[in-house]
Amino acid sequence: MVKAYVMVKANTGEADRLKNAIEEIEGVNEAHIVAGDVDIIAKLSVDSPAQVKVISADGIQGISGVEDTRTYIAMD
Amino acid sequence: MRFVIIGAGRVGLRTARVLSAEGHEVVLVERDADMADRARTEGYEVVEGDGSRESVLEEAGIDDADAFGALTSDLNTNFAACMIAKHYGCRTILRIDEDYREDIYRKYADEVDEIVYPERLGAIGAKNALLGGDIRAIADIAQNLQVVELTVQPDSPMKGYTISEISLPADATFLAFGKNDRPLAIPSSDESLEEGDRLAVLADFEVLDDVRQLIVGNAKRAAAGGI
Repeated sequence: MVKAYVMVKANTGEADRLKNAIEEIEGVNEAHIVAGDVDIIAKLSVDSPAQVKVISADGIQGISGVEDTRTYIAMD
Repeated sequence: MRFVIIGAGRVGLRTARVLSAEGHEVVLVERDADMADRARTEGYEVVEGDGSRESVLEEAGIDDADAFGALTSDLNTNFAACMIAKHYGCRTILRIDEDYREDIYRKYADEVDEIVYPERLGAIGAKNALLGGDIRAIADIAQNLQVVELTVQPDSPMKGYTISEISLPADATFLAFGKNDRPLAIPSSDESLEEGDRLAVLADFEVLDDVRQLIVGNAKRAAAGGI
């Protein structure tokens, strides 16, 4: 099991729509709207590191209104 | 009143300047030594340190401040500082760094009472200068809605008409009227429009040009004015 956190930078004020769209992606456990220089943090848990890339690169980055993502894979 | 402002850069320092000019007490918090020095040279009380730390805000007197301005260019710092300031009972003002975030913080950030996006105000000033002196933006109400002040020119189509005869486009509302040199006030219907009179109008961007044609006419624009 691989756990990862994806920091999402938006370019739209529709934070609710983005949060819902991200939470609908399979492998995403939860997503929260946060204060600061990123807008949403999503927590993933999947079977392999390759799936982390699929979710962040294809899934989350494919949502309109997402400007950029940064992914952190948990090591513990 | 007493204010604590974090960030002594172009936004924070200028804000401190206008507050002091109006007789208010301001303490600035700045983490950069050179910028803190510069603010001190201008006569401000400056606490050097990280504005998102409670001990630093305490030193700045957050406990008895009326309101708190988080005006650094770092959004994380600003937000953390607003949480602390709210805990101390201050009214909190947060500077944001990108305009789309305004709606997000209005909706979710309970710790924040007001949001400012300085670039928006800068753009209004620049736009006023570009448009020229006979139309002046007073406030952006929403993305497409603005309050503007128009000045009646010598060849204005509405010159000589009374207030009650003014018929503005559907997406525009007449708010206030000011005779030549007098301040704007609630309009009375029988006053007539003369050269130099000013009208405040709430208008959608779409009809702003029509409103301008009607009140100002096509006269050569007067010298640029700003905010």
